[in-house]
Amino acid sequence: MLRKQSLLAIAAGLALAVASQSADAAKIKIGFLPGVVDPFYQVMQLGVEAAAKDLGVDVVTQIPPTWGVQVQTPILDSMIARGDLNYIITAPTDKDQMVGPLKAAVDAGIKVITVDTFLGDGDYVKGPVKFPISYIGSDNTEGGRIAARGLAKAIGGEGTVYINSTNPNVSSVEGREKGFKEVIEKEYPKIKVLGPDYNLDDPNKATQQTAAVLEREPKLAGVFGTNVFSAQGAGAAVVNAGLGGHVQVVAYDATKLAIELMGKGVVSLVLAQKPFDMGYMAVQFAVADAAGVTSLPRRVETGFAIIDKDNVKDPAVARFVYQVPGK
Amino acid sequence: MTERGSRIVLPAGTSPSGLRTSSQRLALLLSRIWAWLFLALMILFFVIAVPLMSGGSVNFLTIRNSQNILVAIIPVLLLGLGQTFVIIAAGIDLSVGWVMSLASVLSALALRWAFDSGAPLFPAVLVGLVAGVGGAAVVGFVNGVIISKLKVPAFIVTLGTSFIVRGVAYLMSENTTVIGLPAGIRAYGNDALLYYIPGEGGGLYFLDRPEVSGELLRRMDTILPYPVVVTAFVVLCTMFLLHKTQFGRHTYAIGGSLQAAERTGIPVDRHIIKLYILSASTAGIAGFLSTLRFTAGSAVIGDPLLLSSIAAVIIGGVSLFGGAGTVIGTVIGALIIAVLTTGLVMLNVEAFWQFIVVGTVVIIAVLIDQSRDLITGRQRRNAAA
Amino acid sequence: MTEALLSVRNVTKRFGGLVAVSDVSFDINRGEVVGLLGDNGAGKSTLIKCISGVHQAEEGEIFFEGKRAEFAHPIDARSHGIETIYQDLALANNLDVGANIFLGREVKKSYLGGLIKTLDEQHMLRESRQTLNSLQIQFPTLTQPIESLSGGQRQAVAIARAVYWDAKLMIMDEPTNNLGVIEQRKVLDLIRALRERGVPVILITHILPDAFAVADRLIVMHGGRKVAEKTTAATNTEELVQYMVGARDDAPKGAPETQREIPLPQ
Repeated sequence: MLRKQSLLAIAAGLALAVASQSADAAKIKIGFLPGVVDPFYQVMQLGVEAAAKDLGVDVVTQIPPTWGVQVQTPILDSMIARGDLNYIITAPTDKDQMVGPLKAAVDAGIKVITVDTFLGDGDYVKGPVKFPISYIGSDNTEGGRIAARGLAKAIGGEGTVYINSTNPNVSSVEGREKGFKEVIEKEYPKIKVLGPDYNLDDPNKATQQTAAVLEREPKLAGVFGTNVFSAQGAGAAVVNAGLGGHVQVVAYDATKLAIELMGKGVVSLVLAQKPFDMGYMAVQFAVADAAGVTSLPRRVETGFAIIDKDNVKDPAVARFVYQVPGK
Repeated sequence: MTERGSRIVLPAGTSPSGLRTSSQRLALLLSRIWAWLFLALMILFFVIAVPLMSGGSVNFLTIRNSQNILVAIIPVLLLGLGQTFVIIAAGIDLSVGWVMSLASVLSALALRWAFDSGAPLFPAVLVGLVAGVGGAAVVGFVNGVIISKLKVPAFIVTLGTSFIVRGVAYLMSENTTVIGLPAGIRAYGNDALLYYIPGEGGGLYFLDRPEVSGELLRRMDTILPYPVVVTAFVVLCTMFLLHKTQFGRHTYAIGGSLQAAERTGIPVDRHIIKLYILSASTAGIAGFLSTLRFTAGSAVIGDPLLLSSIAAVIIGGVSLFGGAGTVIGTVIGALIIAVLTTGLVMLNVEAFWQFIVVGTVVIIAVLIDQSRDLITGRQRRNAAA
Repeated sequence: MTEALLSVRNVTKRFGGLVAVSDVSFDINRGEVVGLLGDNGAGKSTLIKCISGVHQAEEGEIFFEGKRAEFAHPIDARSHGIETIYQDLALANNLDVGANIFLGREVKKSYLGGLIKTLDEQHMLRESRQTLNSLQIQFPTLTQPIESLSGGQRQAVAIARAVYWDAKLMIMDEPTNNLGVIEQRKVLDLIRALRERGVPVILITHILPDAFAVADRLIVMHGGRKVAEKTTAATNTEELVQYMVGARDDAPKGAPETQREIPLPQ
């Protein structure tokens, strides 16, 4: 696990070295296949496209309309069948089921870089899955821990909290749930954890599920929404029930809506990931690999910005909010 | 007019039938084959457009891509095949999506249990198959009994059972993906009849996946993966069942006139139960194949497929009023959807366009179905005889 | 004297408190057409349904071919040779003539020692064509769905179906309703053709000209009771109408009805 700053420096250095060395290197084509349409991946796409422009490579992007292996795999197969891609940057929608289809990509001569979610156990050196070049994403377990401590503090160290999550067997949200529960168990034994419920990436379902929990647990003190749609949906449920400010919400992923809710006092803590950096770095890695670099780190953790009402107005922090121009 | 003993001729001219004008015949012919034409045009469009858009680096009708399309249609097609029978008999099965999910979970659990209990791989796979399709058939049986004996409309019953099945699927999978399946089943789900490596050092291999790597591996195409073979077999069986057997004939009869079927002694209740068992079973096969392909059972896979399966059936020419439709039509409908989705990805167009196009094609299909009635003067089932 | 094919003896049918058919008796002999007349609600359809197995009579007995008949289900009656053609014909619009004639009784070919059975379409087509020819009915095509046929043509299909399956007694419920004049006459021709083949017909109708055109005998019902039984030659329209509206009654309540002697089976 390398620290973020040194890592970016290495990557940037590699990229520059590559760019200066092989100005006439063959132009590579990269396929970008994130998980689903949402602000997080849209910001990642911005990062990918920015890097593509800076480094002079082509990118073919396909964003699945809904989350799931049944939807992601046919798109992946079609991208492989194009025959003109050298790399695929993807967020696998299931850490076990996507191993086969992505291995098929490798067999076809396309190298794989995973972003945001990983395959297997994320350890591409010693783990069961070794073929991706690298995993670039947040340390989601640590993020879960931070969220737990933040929520525990906000509710005064005791009470009942509820986790609302998206999909099972996805490394990102799974890590967050794990880290969250770990901290609560060890450090706040007086807090009871309900859930997680899976909303399958549907914010409406997240709202329904959270509303149901609010109904049957009148003493619910806090909610942890583990990603974009979970946080949005859960926050909406809290607002609808008129419990904004009484039920504390911790949101993973800094969508504009989450920040708005923070302004209204509904959300007390937002963990912003760095999807732009993930996307940008993934392209850099592809270019570096194409230029023959063999010492690329197999795992990069891109860090968080922890946003609360004290620093939300600070421009240095505000730039981590997931903004897509024009949306 | 006619006297005793002389020939009784019922001239065609007294009815809007028999001899039609040639433009009517042409219109009727077109209405029957429009889906084929559309599919052909669409393929042609992509064959031309994809290389254009990609600057010549990508081709549409490669071996690899054609196989991708065949693999991509499997879930929608299998769901659609069972649905075809049910809709021809003027019913509908809204539970097939979740039944597929349940079957995926059941077959994964059963397979894992059998293998962990010491069974060799192939029998364990068979256990998974029986569990998946068997569980699905039970749901179909329940659907059929409630619809035929309690006379509750199919729409409502299957909608209700879809919720129950969904809950059961989540419960059995403990709200996560069922993993830990033996690695060997990946071969069942992904290996193929033929392997083709073009160029030097290559060749055509039958059944045995060649152990190659590097450049040869990159060039290798798998042709006719086992799931495609299984699906083709199911297609042939259902085609035979629908068009050549008494079972198929009775299915059309029940859809054409439930009353006539009852009056002429067709065991309608029993037949309806069999139909819903059939539609659930094809969904069960789809779930089982999905488990093999992804070496995991998942409770969430079936949901988006229900509407696509109905779209494929409608595009294929099955009338929503019942009494008409073919298996090959459903195959064409599923192909249209799969070619469209694949082609759009290769054109690097946003995925959402597929929904707009499929929806438009469905509406066109229904309009054509209606216009066919206008041409033949066909009366609806509930109109006076 | 030859035994009657069908004997109905004192049949009564009630639906709750309503008496739909009350103490009705009559015979049908081979080779005759009997018209069953009466206004709406007179009980004609209910009486017929008691004979064809849709309803079961509460009182009275029915004898068919000399044997006591208790048909629990229409299929029962059909298997004995009583074919009924209802007003809606029981045809499937989306199937062709042959399929309709064999509906529910399809002929199959066996393969692999009975493992696989397919429809023997050739056989069914051949048989259908033969039957239609024997009834002197000609259709432009036998392989198109019958949805495009006219009302009279569809009647013909229904009749051909009954004939093919060796109907011994044909019951037709208002067969000429909804037909044009020309087609009405064709249906009447078919009824005559049936009589020629020795198949008796019970013809329910309220169109008196039709009854006079084909029937040998006429039975009139009113209010669930049989109020008249005449040979066609011995009556006329005005008289029949009087019976139908209840102005005349040959068997008023209380008066014993003249019974014919019939030899009861042992």
